[in-house]
Amino acid sequence: MGCRDIRETLSAFVDGEASPGESAVVRGHLASCGRCRVLERQMRAVGEGVRQVRGPVPDRFREKVFARLESEGALPNRKKVFPATWRWAVVPLAAAAGLGLFLLTSREVVRGPAPPAPVAARVGTPVPHAPSPQQDVEPLSTEDREMLAMLDLLEDPVAFDANDDAEGMDLLAPGAPAESPHPPRGGRSGA
Amino acid sequence: MLLFREGSREAFEELFSRHHRAVVRFAWRMTGDPSSAEEAAQEIFLRIARAAPTYLPTAKFTTWMYTVARRTTLNYLRDTKEDGERIPILLEGEGGDGVYPVQLPGPDDRNPEQVVWEGQLTERFRTALGELPEGQRAAFVLNRGDGLSYEEVAQVLGITAQAVKTRIFRAREVLLSRLSKDLSS
Repeated sequence: MGCRDIRETLSAFVDGEASPGESAVVRGHLASCGRCRVLERQMRAVGEGVRQVRGPVPDRFREKVFARLESEGALPNRKKVFPATWRWAVVPLAAAAGLGLFLLTSREVVRGPAPPAPVAARVGTPVPHAPSPQQDVEPLSTEDREMLAMLDLLEDPVAFDANDDAEGMDLLAPGAPAESPHPPRGGRSGA
Repeated sequence: MLLFREGSREAFEELFSRHHRAVVRFAWRMTGDPSSAEEAAQEIFLRIARAAPTYLPTAKFTTWMYTVARRTTLNYLRDTKEDGERIPILLEGEGGDGVYPVQLPGPDDRNPEQVVWEGQLTERFRTALGELPEGQRAAFVLNRGDGLSYEEVAQVLGITAQAVKTRIFRAREVLLSRLSKDLSS
């Protein structure tokens, strides 16, 4: 086979598309033809050239494509996915609603005229001012009563200011001697 | 694509993520300039989305995708031609009978495979590629640029594998005739 006749097969050979028989013929020819060996390399180089023709993905290409698709209504709506999700959410939502209803109902029971619940379930209610006559209610300790008294005091600023103990608060100022009945005001200024 | 056909938006987003670079590259090689490539590539994805309801998996998705891509770029180039702008499409066979006066370098010339594809040479190559008949360019780009086999290229173009072989050979002959000096000097 001459050089001119082998060129098309050589092109397929370069692309890995020649049959085994064609490939054997091409290899035999290339072994004895320097011009076709150069042509083979040029053919490979031209193939590489195609891969060099490339450009970056344009800016915001994705946004533009999806905007056009959205405007045409060619994309499924995301909302279609959610109903199935909401169906699965019914059980926990119902459970949460039931729990909330239970808690609200429980509080009403506590505040109502019904017998009060144990102290542990009535945090924040005026327990010391309305002691329960029930025997199973655990009496408050002295420490608990002091704590509640302090809470009452903090909730009433007027009573707080009127309290003589407020003067004693200065005793806590840094640098002031705890024994002094009238420590210098201004905290650190005397230190 | 089947999932997208069944209404999964996420499936299309995944499809886009996987293939948009290849589509843009193909459009760039077929149209020859960035703005045309972007318009054509956008149109390709629009057509893919529009075709989803009738999509049938009779071939590899990429083969189908390149079929859409090739037809879209071809239509795009024809539309551009009708608008009176310069278009690098020649009618099939317009380039001659496939025999070109390739000036081959001597055996001592440098190895063309080691050609440095720098700006000027790539630009000349891109111009020469754009002057190929569209059928030859599509066959050559799909095979050498996108890695499709002759058989896959044949499916995309709707011709025989033998015809693909001939088109690619002719494309090579034209490109070599235009670039042989660049490739051997």
